[in-house]
Amino acid sequence: MTLSLRTRTLSNAARLSLGLLLTGSVTVQAQEIVIWGGFPELTEYYERVAESLSDKYPDLTVNVEPIGLRDHEKRVALGLSSGLEDATVLELIGSTANRYIVNELIQPAPADVADFVNDSANFEPFFQETATVDGSVYGVPVFRGQGALFYNTDMLAAAGLEGPPMTMEEYDEYAAKLTQRDADGNPTVSGWSLRLSGGGGGIAEKFWINLHQYGGTVLEKAGDGYKAGYVSDEGLAAFRQYVNAVSGDKTVTVDMPADAEAFQREQTAMFIRESWVIGDTAKKAPDLNYKTALLPRGSIALPVNLYVAGGSDEAQQAAWDFAIAANQPEHLVWMLDNVGWLPNRSGVDYSGVVSAKPQFSAFVDLPDDYEFFTLPSIEPINEILTRFAAKLVDSYGDESLVDNDAAIMAVLESAAEETNKILDRAGILAK
Amino acid sequence: MLSRKRFWFAIVAIVPTLLIFGWVRMFPIVETLRLSFFQWNLLSKNKPFVGLENFIELFQDDQFLTALTNTAIIAFGAMAVTIPASMVLAAVIYHRTKSRFAGFYETAVFIPHVVSLVPAAMAWKWIFDAKLGPLNAVIVALGGEAQPWLFDPVLSLICIILLVSWQTLGYAVLIYLVGFRNLPKTVYEAAKLDGASGIQSFIFMSVPLLKPITLYVSVVTLISGFNVYAQAYVLASDTQGAPGRLVRVLVMDMLENSFQNFRVGYAAAEAVVLLVIVLFLTAIQFSLLRQKGGR
Repeated sequence: MTLSLRTRTLSNAARLSLGLLLTGSVTVQAQEIVIWGGFPELTEYYERVAESLSDKYPDLTVNVEPIGLRDHEKRVALGLSSGLEDATVLELIGSTANRYIVNELIQPAPADVADFVNDSANFEPFFQETATVDGSVYGVPVFRGQGALFYNTDMLAAAGLEGPPMTMEEYDEYAAKLTQRDADGNPTVSGWSLRLSGGGGGIAEKFWINLHQYGGTVLEKAGDGYKAGYVSDEGLAAFRQYVNAVSGDKTVTVDMPADAEAFQREQTAMFIRESWVIGDTAKKAPDLNYKTALLPRGSIALPVNLYVAGGSDEAQQAAWDFAIAANQPEHLVWMLDNVGWLPNRSGVDYSGVVSAKPQFSAFVDLPDDYEFFTLPSIEPINEILTRFAAKLVDSYGDESLVDNDAAIMAVLESAAEETNKILDRAGILAK
Repeated sequence: MLSRKRFWFAIVAIVPTLLIFGWVRMFPIVETLRLSFFQWNLLSKNKPFVGLENFIELFQDDQFLTALTNTAIIAFGAMAVTIPASMVLAAVIYHRTKSRFAGFYETAVFIPHVVSLVPAAMAWKWIFDAKLGPLNAVIVALGGEAQPWLFDPVLSLICIILLVSWQTLGYAVLIYLVGFRNLPKTVYEAAKLDGASGIQSFIFMSVPLLKPITLYVSVVTLISGFNVYAQAYVLASDTQGAPGRLVRVLVMDMLENSFQNFRVGYAAAEAVVLLVIVLFLTAIQFSLLRQKGGR
C-alpha cells in the first residue's frame, strides 16, 4: 500500500514535471517563430515586419535567418523532410513549394489567410494561382523576380546610341558598338554581359529569358505533360546569339567580370536582371548613370510566397500573422524602395518610389501584350535546368559552333534528349 | 584468463563506445547502402525498390562520369603534389631544428591546415581572378600571358589541386616530421662515414625508411581528395560578378542529387561507388607499400 502510494506519488510528480515542462515548451514555442529566406538582402525588411508585430505579440521572438538561395533550398528540403520544431515561415518560389505541398509537408493556410489571398483587391489571379494547389491556398504572395534590361546611359551616348535596343538583332548591334577593346582587340568592357559560368540552373534560366524573346521556350507543355521545346528555330537563334557573342564577335568572354557587380563597376554596358539591382546599385554605385528598358517580348516572372510549417498551433498563428503583416503597404513600399524586389500586392501606391527611381518603370509600366512566363511546378525542374546549363557552358565557348547551325542543332538535340529522359523518368513526358 | 568480474567490467566499458560507433559510423553506411537500391525523393512515403537500376544509370550518366573523373584527378593530383612537397619541406625543417626559427617554420606550414576552408578558398579565388588577381598580375609583369584560371577546364582543375594541396601540406609535413625524428641516427652516421651526401641520404635512406609514414599520408591525402567539395563550390560560387567554371566533383553531385534534384537513392548509389573506390585504393596502397618493405 505504502509502496503503491509512493509509486503513485512519484508517478504524479513525474507527470506534473512533464506537464510543466511541456507547458513551458509550448509557451516558449508560441513566443518564437523563425523566418527562413533565400535572399539575404531582405533581412532588414523581415526585421521591420517583426517589429510591427510587437503590439499584437509583445513576447514574440522572430529569428530572421536568411542564407544564399541554393543553400536555402537544401535547408528547406532537409528541414521539412525531417520535421521543424519551431513555427517557420518559409520563403519559397511557387514552383519549388509545390513538391512539398503534394507530399503533405506544407499544410493549407487557415481560412482567414486564404480569404486575404483570394481577395481580388489584394492580388491578381496570377499570384493567387501560384499560392494555390488543388483549390486550397497554401502560401501568401510577397514579391516576384522579373527581368528588364539595364543599360549604362553614358556608354550608350559615347557609342552614339540613342535609347535602348528594341529587338534581339539590335542587342547584337549594340553589344558590338558598346564593347571596349585593348590594343590587341581583346574586350576590356563587355557590350552585353551574359551568364556564361557558375553553378546551378541559373545559366539555363537566363538562356530561357533570351529564348523567350525569340518566341521559344525551354519546356513546352503538351496535354498533361511536358517536352523539351528548344530544338526549334527560336532555340537555334538564341543559342547562335550566345555563341556568336562569346566565340564570334567576342563582345563578351567567359572570364570577364559579369552581372550586377560588373555593371556597377562599369565593366559592362548592358545586362538583363531583376529589379533588385536598382536597390543594390543605389547602395554600391549611387553615381552610376543608367536606365532600364522592357525586353523585346516579355519577361520571366518568379513569384515568391511565404509558407508556414512546424511548431505549435499558437506559434503557427503568429507565423501566419507575420506573413500577412509582410504584405502591409508600408513594408512593401519600403521593400521596393530599399531592396528593389517587386511586391505582388495590388492596390498599394508605389508611385512615390517609381517617380523617385524611374528605373522601376520598366518593371511596372508594362504594355498589355508583354508576355510573361514562369518555371513550371514540376518535380525535376531543377535537374532539367542544371543539366541543360552544363551543356550550355561547354558549348558557349566552342569556336567550332560559330556559323555552324547544324552543329548548334546537334548540341540542342543532345540536350533535349537528356531533358526528355528526365521528364520521362518523372512520368510527365508529353506523348 | 579474465575473471568473470573483470570480463563484465570490460564489456560494460566497451559496449557504450561500440554502440556510439555503430550508431554514428556504421548505421549511416548500412543505411546508405540500403537506400542505393531504392528510388526515393526524400519527401514521399513511397520508396520503391529498384535493385541495381541506380548503379546502371550512374555509369551512363555524363554528369556523374565527369564528377568521377574530376574527383579522381584532384585526389591523385593533390597526392602527387603533397607527398614529395611535404617530405622535402619536413626534411628541410627537421635539419634546421637547431635554428631559432624552427618553431616559426613548423607553424607557418601548418597554419593553412587550421584556417577555415571557405575564407581560404575565397582568398584563393581572388588570387586566381583572371582580371583582378595578383597571380595574373605577376605573370603579365614577367612577360607572360594572363590565364583564365577559374574558367578554363584544365586550369580550373589545377586551381583546385593547388588549393587542396596547400591545405593538406601542413598536416603531412607534421606527420613526416614525426617520422624524421624517429629515424635511427646511427644509420645516417654510417652513411656519412661512407661518404654519402645529404641528398643521397635523403633519397636512398630517408625515403625508403619513411615508407610507413608515406603510406599513412597518401591514404589520408587521397581520401580527403576524394571528399573534395567546398573548394570547388567556393571557386565557382555564384557571387555576383565573378562566378567561376563549375568543376563538378562527386560530393557536389551527391548533394545536388539529394537536396536539389530530390534523388536520394541515386545519390546514395554515388556514395556507395565513392566508398568502394576509396576502399579499393586504400587496399592497393597498403599492399604496395607493405610488399616493398613497409612495416
